[in-house]
Amino acid sequence: MSIEFSGKLKEERALFIVIPLLLLHLILISLQVEHPGGSLLFRNWVLLASAPFLEVSASIHRAAAYAWTNYVVLRGARTQNDLLQKRVEQLTLREDALRQMEVENVRLRQLLSLKETVPLETVGARVVGRVPDYLANIVYIDRGADDGVKANAPVLAATAVVGRTILVSRFNSQVQLITNTYASLGVMVERTRSPGVLSGSGQPLLSLDYISNSEQVEPDDVVVTSGLDGLFPKGLRIGRVVQSQRGKSAFRVIRVEPFADLLRLEEVLVLLTGSVGESRGAG
Amino acid sequence: MKYLFLAVSSFLAIVAQMIAGNNFFLFNFLDLSLILIAYWAFYRNRTEALFVGSLTGILLDAAFGWPLGYNGFSKTLAAFAIGQAAKRFNLDGFGVRFALISAASFLSSLTVSGLFILLQRSTNTLYLEASLIQSLITGVVGVLMLSLLDSYHKVQANRAG
Repeated sequence: MSIEFSGKLKEERALFIVIPLLLLHLILISLQVEHPGGSLLFRNWVLLASAPFLEVSASIHRAAAYAWTNYVVLRGARTQNDLLQKRVEQLTLREDALRQMEVENVRLRQLLSLKETVPLETVGARVVGRVPDYLANIVYIDRGADDGVKANAPVLAATAVVGRTILVSRFNSQVQLITNTYASLGVMVERTRSPGVLSGSGQPLLSLDYISNSEQVEPDDVVVTSGLDGLFPKGLRIGRVVQSQRGKSAFRVIRVEPFADLLRLEEVLVLLTGSVGESRGAG
Repeated sequence: MKYLFLAVSSFLAIVAQMIAGNNFFLFNFLDLSLILIAYWAFYRNRTEALFVGSLTGILLDAAFGWPLGYNGFSKTLAAFAIGQAAKRFNLDGFGVRFALISAASFLSSLTVSGLFILLQRSTNTLYLEASLIQSLITGVVGVLMLSLLDSYHKVQANRAG
């Protein structure tokens, strides 16, 4: 039986070779051909292939976290007392669930009020994954081309700008956060109307460049989008100045802390239309 | 040594076609690389024919200036089809050989068109029309070349016998 099987395998050897060869050629092509969106086909295929895994892992993580906090841990502590202990346990469970709903409610209300304020078409999305190295400052969301998301679409959190989409597949997208080393956007200081460029450096604080030494930018000044980069609508909040001092060149050295908590993003808003314009009458 | 010969013969087939095609119009419709693949599948090793297909395909892509992989994919598929047919059928007759080589050549062209449509979303019906002519000419020339090879082998066998 085993001799027959190995004989059959030898006969079908060509089949076992041709399939990997054909796959290799397809990968070779995808490394050279661009997707209509501008990125390499291969990158799009990888993003598309990873979408179901990211969704599943996010769901498993949520379910496991829920089971752990509401069943496993508490069960170990519920052996001593009778009805009162059980009652306390039930009330604690209910309180935890209500607290989570309240936090999510506040977050979603803020998102909704921002959605109403921003006069552009938007879609809500959940953050379903991050690259393993937090300094890379890239996250994945569960909205893609099928939901109307395009590349270079601005992404906002409940209160402020968090980044833009850089790679979009059918079902999910890759978002470059504003703290990413390669991120930069056109901004202005809201109080003085001084225009500049805000850049990420992989660190939690952002660098605000090209503000002249003669400008009176102070700590706690709010930085908003200027709309001059053609990507972000004007007037969206980004962060506040935490450090401002005269620079050795003609420009000030200014550090900005983002309003959004970029390490704990859960829900975001993606702008679907790309036109630049006033968002809150901040002009 | 065998694999060096495999690589060199693949390269020479492409070069020969480029030179001949430049000087004789009809050679623009001849797929020499496919004839090489058929030779390898009939007379040598069907598995090695797959690699001949891959290599000649990639060389063709490089020569055409296309992204590498289109012809590599199609020629590998054609080599697999020829190899499977050679395993299952008696290919001594002219008609059978002509049909197989023509079909493989057209399959190869069809695959390249299909990949272009799928991946780059562009079509070219003129390419398919030319491919049909190419498959017929390649079939005829392929059969002739393989028959010459058969005769040569017979003569060598008679001399040795």
